[in-house]
Amino acid sequence: MDRRGAVLVAPAVVAVLFVLGAGLGSAVLQSVGLIPLVGDPALQFTGYVGEREVLAAVGLSLLIASASTSVAALVGLSTALLLVGSGRGRRMLAALVTASIPVPHLVGAASVGLLLSDSGLMSRWLGVPAQAWPSLVAGAWPTAVIFEYAWKESAFVALVVSASLASRLPDYQETAALLGARPWARFRHVALPLATPALLAASAIAFVYTLGSYEVAWLLGAAYPEPLPVLSYRLFTSTDLTARPDAMAVAVMTTVIAGSVALTALALLRRTAAWR
Amino acid sequence: MRRVASLTAGIVLVSACAAPISGSSEETSDSWPEIRSKARGQTVSLWMWGGDPQGNAYVDDVLAPAARQAGVTLRRVPVADTKEALNRVLAEKQAGRSDGEVDLVWVNGDNFATGVQADAWRCGWSSALPNMRFTDPDDPLLTEDFGMQVDGCESPWHKAQFTLVYDSARITDPPGTMSEVLDWIEANPGRFTYPAPPDFTGSVFVRQLLYTVSGGHENVPATFDQETFDELTPALWQRLRDLAPSLWRNGRTYPRDSVALDRLFAEGQLDMTMTYGPATLTELVEEGTFPPSTRVLPLEEGTVGNASFLAIPATSADHAGAMLVANLALSPTQQRIKADPRVWGQFTVLDESRLSGRDKADFDRLPDSPVVPSYTVLARHANPELASAWVPALDEGWRRDVLAEVQ
Amino acid sequence: MTTPLRTVRRTLVLLLLVWFALPLAPLVLWASSDTWRGASPLPQEWGVQAFTASLGDGVTSALLGSLAIGVVVAALATPAGAMAARALRLGTLKRPRLVASLLLAPVALPPFAVVMGLDVVLLRLHVPAALGVVLVLTVAALPYTTYLMRAAYVAYDFDYEDEARTLGASDLAIWWRVRLPLLAPGIAGATFLAFLVGWSDYIVTLLVGGGRLVTLPILIASTASGTGSEPRVAALSIAALAPPTVALALAALLRHRLLSARPHTTGKPKAPSPVHAVTLPRGAT
Repeated sequence: MDRRGAVLVAPAVVAVLFVLGAGLGSAVLQSVGLIPLVGDPALQFTGYVGEREVLAAVGLSLLIASASTSVAALVGLSTALLLVGSGRGRRMLAALVTASIPVPHLVGAASVGLLLSDSGLMSRWLGVPAQAWPSLVAGAWPTAVIFEYAWKESAFVALVVSASLASRLPDYQETAALLGARPWARFRHVALPLATPALLAASAIAFVYTLGSYEVAWLLGAAYPEPLPVLSYRLFTSTDLTARPDAMAVAVMTTVIAGSVALTALALLRRTAAWR
Repeated sequence: MRRVASLTAGIVLVSACAAPISGSSEETSDSWPEIRSKARGQTVSLWMWGGDPQGNAYVDDVLAPAARQAGVTLRRVPVADTKEALNRVLAEKQAGRSDGEVDLVWVNGDNFATGVQADAWRCGWSSALPNMRFTDPDDPLLTEDFGMQVDGCESPWHKAQFTLVYDSARITDPPGTMSEVLDWIEANPGRFTYPAPPDFTGSVFVRQLLYTVSGGHENVPATFDQETFDELTPALWQRLRDLAPSLWRNGRTYPRDSVALDRLFAEGQLDMTMTYGPATLTELVEEGTFPPSTRVLPLEEGTVGNASFLAIPATSADHAGAMLVANLALSPTQQRIKADPRVWGQFTVLDESRLSGRDKADFDRLPDSPVVPSYTVLARHANPELASAWVPALDEGWRRDVLAEVQ
Repeated sequence: MTTPLRTVRRTLVLLLLVWFALPLAPLVLWASSDTWRGASPLPQEWGVQAFTASLGDGVTSALLGSLAIGVVVAALATPAGAMAARALRLGTLKRPRLVASLLLAPVALPPFAVVMGLDVVLLRLHVPAALGVVLVLTVAALPYTTYLMRAAYVAYDFDYEDEARTLGASDLAIWWRVRLPLLAPGIAGATFLAFLVGWSDYIVTLLVGGGRLVTLPILIASTASGTGSEPRVAALSIAALAPPTVALALAALLRHRLLSARPHTTGKPKAPSPVHAVTLPRGAT
């Protein structure tokens, strides 16, 4: 019995171990200066010593990730429930969700920028002059960044949750309705528990991904402060190659934070009874 | 599971631990006919910035067929930033490979300097190119790239000039010097900004301003030294901090790159923009992205200028073919076609006094761009570029002493 | 459904439609604009110049390249993830929590950090570029496929398999007639997400692949790095959206067809039981 399980996971686990090991291992080694691009290997920890920039970056990253994931979870859940049910507009909604998922974040960010910037489509259509439009893009609050992540991740959450609900929810809801449950009770006691495992998993993946992705904040965010991946990317692409270890150090820190979140999510998932 | 993990760890450590193989590039001692015959049948991968459709069309439709006639297949790999090509070269270098995927890179000063820092370029080859005889051997723009000796490690391709661009419909009385530009900014708040360093264009704007604040480029030594930096930069940061409240968004944030800056200009939120590659302006006005009243703002004291080059990585497999392509790109015919604003509009690196009579006449016959003045006009009183060591110092200083301070 | 509830539902649908459509609007508008100057609400001239120009940019070969990578990654990551999910669900693994964390881990890594370190290792080991790209992207897709399949397995009732086995069905018949149909929505979703990982990848294809293959994301990113590129980028993005959208629409249609062909049940809620179709005549329950 155990053998069969091990054989089933073997391909996935071996591949992941190799890629993660090589990638993360190299990143860590580079961050402490042991595989420098220039100069001799010398152990150094300058990248890890806390700087004002890094602390601000961590705070901003967590803000963006939690805000966008919360919105995405809410919107994605509502969308999934509507998609699984019956009714008008369902097909149109399904088409739009389907069209949103394949959009790469780079394109999505460019598009949201064109939409929400001072002289973007929204301000033009609403007739608001550019100076009066609130600073959604590159403003003090990362509004446009959060909106873009929330939009894309909500489509992803909707897909995952609706895929897990599709085969079961209609029957359970029908039975509950036959037994006299009101809509709110049906939601709280049937739909929500059924959707929770998939919702949690999708939200966790979305949160962790947002923590580590840089393109959206790069295009739509303010120049200062910048979230962790943007800081890391900027240091990484610096003309001075001796900044590489610092870039890798920030990347490793990002990974540690993201990893902790992932582990916490897994622990939470295990608590939900249906997930074993 | 444990065995697999330790095996993987072993492989990783063994492969990653050794220091990068240093050592350049063997000097090429082949004669040109030998190089030409070696190049036949090779495929050269040119990694170049793909954001300019005219440039892409020139390479695909003009340079590549010309290369094919010499027996070389030229393949263009579009990148969003030359740093990506550099990353690939650096990885190949660290892995000790000599059959690399990058054969030719369109580089500019700071990327070239980064490559030199890592010993990534093949050297000593560009002086052997036959078409180098059409260039002026004493031209400082060609012998030094951002203060770094070229040393035959790259062959020149275009010349460029940092240019301010303005909308003549909104600015009827344009300023004539950089100081007047700063005064204009303060008199018209919210209508000007610059990309945040380390963006290439933002970075050169800060360097240009360093010249202004220091009273001229003669007062700033080209080579970097910490003392001069500490002496000259406080005035620069102070000026930029004082300027900030008059900038777009009160100077609390800046466009991420020149594309974002140009978008603001195109939408009419700014009255000025800037570029280090004025060749693109003609097409931008032509296709309607920029308003038809867009004009170049010449400064009396001149602006920073440089040349961009083609470099061959030390890890390249098809370096003979790459040399052939570089030589082809340097030929008077190709330089002339490339300088036509209808094709690409890039300024030539050739010295017109060394061209044959017919070539010279062909150059003279090139049409003028309605937007961009000729190179002689644009490059009048051209300022030299600073050494590349200034660049990260200034970029970091800007973030620390201007951006962080004006929040 | 009561009327106020219906109104709430309809408003919600409308709001969600706007939510998903808004960020797509600029793409559609810019791709269909021939001239869009200044800050006007709509383009001055409409047309398909952006699309025809993209043909010259090499969009067809880029499309094929992206398609190839997407299909290969989907073909590798979906079975691997499905098998891993099954093993986790069976509960027979020695260290299930470690395995689960490991399979979720690739999402937590910033892509460029991994790629820079990994690139050197792969080059040292002389791993062919195509293999390297496929390996890294499959690993990147594994969290999605594993978790989607795990979610699908939560709803999966192993009793159906046992029933079919006791009734004498072969392993292959069980796999084809019981497992696949019941897991179809999950498999479809997992395949789609894995395909997307390969389809929309940029950094790995460029750096690990050594620029051998110019895919759509590479084309989009390099085009977007220039000024005035909005029409071309929009046209390329729509070209990048079309195949996956069409594929998913087809898959949804197929699923709808499959699900609507199930027998009616009364009382106890039960997922469709294809096992009956395998071994027993209808209505024998």
